[in-house]
Amino acid sequence: MEEAAAAEVVVVTPGEVLGKASQVRAGRGAYVAPHNNLVYASLTGFRRTLSPPPNSPDQRPTVEVTGHKAHGAVPEPGSVVIARVTRVTARVASADIMCVGPKSVREKFTGSISTWAGGSIFGEEEVSLAIKNMNGDKAPGSYGFDIAFLPTMLRGGQSRGEVAVGLSCKRQQDVRATEIDKVDMHLSFRPGDIIRAVVLSLGDARAYYLSTAKNELGVVSAESTAGETMVPISWTEMQCPLTGQIEQRKVAKVGG
Amino acid sequence: MAGKPGTTPTTYSPSPTTQKTRRPIFNENDVDWVRPDGRGFHQCRPAFFRTGAVNAASGSAYAEFGNTKVIVSVFGPRESKKAMMYSDIGRLNCSVSHTTFATPVRGQGSEHKDFSSMLHKSLEGAIILETFPKTTVDVFALVLESGGSDLPVVISCASLALADAGILMHDLVASVSLSCLGKNLVIDPILEEESYQDGGLLITCMPSRYEVTQLTVTGEWSTPKINEGMQLCLDACSKLAKIMRSCLKEATSTSQE
Repeated sequence: MEEAAAAEVVVVTPGEVLGKASQVRAGRGAYVAPHNNLVYASLTGFRRTLSPPPNSPDQRPTVEVTGHKAHGAVPEPGSVVIARVTRVTARVASADIMCVGPKSVREKFTGSISTWAGGSIFGEEEVSLAIKNMNGDKAPGSYGFDIAFLPTMLRGGQSRGEVAVGLSCKRQQDVRATEIDKVDMHLSFRPGDIIRAVVLSLGDARAYYLSTAKNELGVVSAESTAGETMVPISWTEMQCPLTGQIEQRKVAKVGG
Repeated sequence: MAGKPGTTPTTYSPSPTTQKTRRPIFNENDVDWVRPDGRGFHQCRPAFFRTGAVNAASGSAYAEFGNTKVIVSVFGPRESKKAMMYSDIGRLNCSVSHTTFATPVRGQGSEHKDFSSMLHKSLEGAIILETFPKTTVDVFALVLESGGSDLPVVISCASLALADAGILMHDLVASVSLSCLGKNLVIDPILEEESYQDGGLLITCMPSRYEVTQLTVTGEWSTPKINEGMQLCLDACSKLAKIMRSCLKEATSTSQE
């Protein structure tokens, strides 16, 4: 844990000069002006100087400004969020993001979990490799066109995600063009569930792209149809303590 | 139509005004007159700022310059409306409105419909939009009482509210306006002086970086007067920025205790 080199409490406001770019590095809450190479603050708060890690070639200390008020959080790629599921269809589940990391948001953000958005199940490289390795002599899938069409589709501008809907297996040797997507959203989430997910990317204009593809991600708390909070009994099942009914969910591994 | 003799003439000329003309506040030939509120020509009104006035907003500020009272709330960064297209930088949305009791005559505030877009122009250069992609920052300004120089006070107050909300900015934005009355330049004009002005100048600048984000010139100006006016305004902006910074620092240290 690096110690703060400066012990005194200095309040800075946006636009105040924190140092020269040749002597300090700009951390969070600070930026470098390109025309005069000075480091300015961009937030109101307390200025802290962090010493550089001993092995790095850049031995300048980092100066950062921490806001004094608890400002509302904004989802960023890579952050773990808590969300409430609002709508579930066969391929996409929409959720309202309520917390980003440990902070709650002031107003909700919309997120969506889908089986093929941006690589939540398949990565772009996997899909490209798989398509390249497919021969054109397999039987057409239920879309009505055979595999030889796929490279044409890609050149025509279809996103790889749309093509990946028809691919159901991760391994490049075993790719079949079918229309069945093995993951059914209704077996993983229901509206009203509280889930923990990770933000994959900023997504599109309507929603952030989320993913629950890890063990510690998934449903954290859910209510059964009887109205009771359910108890997880396995990685894919939860049970209502009142009625004993078992419902399918993608359960998150909490704790441990 | 051919008029019958004795009817009204077909041409119109304005009749001389019979109502009493307003007495101007200064004499055209006078170089040394006193402003209605007793200030010097190059003296601004005392400024009062307070942040954190509105609890519901992410950030807010209240400003009082003599009789001009303005309150600004900032919401965000929050989700853009679904209808908007994806944007990889943030969006700024500004709205300036007047209360019905803001002006001496009720309901006259709607004459300044362009304040919202002018506020947008002055703030967008100062906010680092790349730090909040896809989201929107909403700035709502309400003029509670209009006592002259409304837009500069709104701009300065909005920049304080943005700093209070924790939006990353290049610098605070300070704004001052100037009026040309006859041969004199008066800074920070009140409502009465603004109505008599021959020309008006509004400067918005980022004082620490000495960069101007907005310059508005109206009316008739000669080049030396513009230069002199700009210099006066920039000096006043840097002094105003000091007051704004001390207000922010005070608010930060009182909230820490």
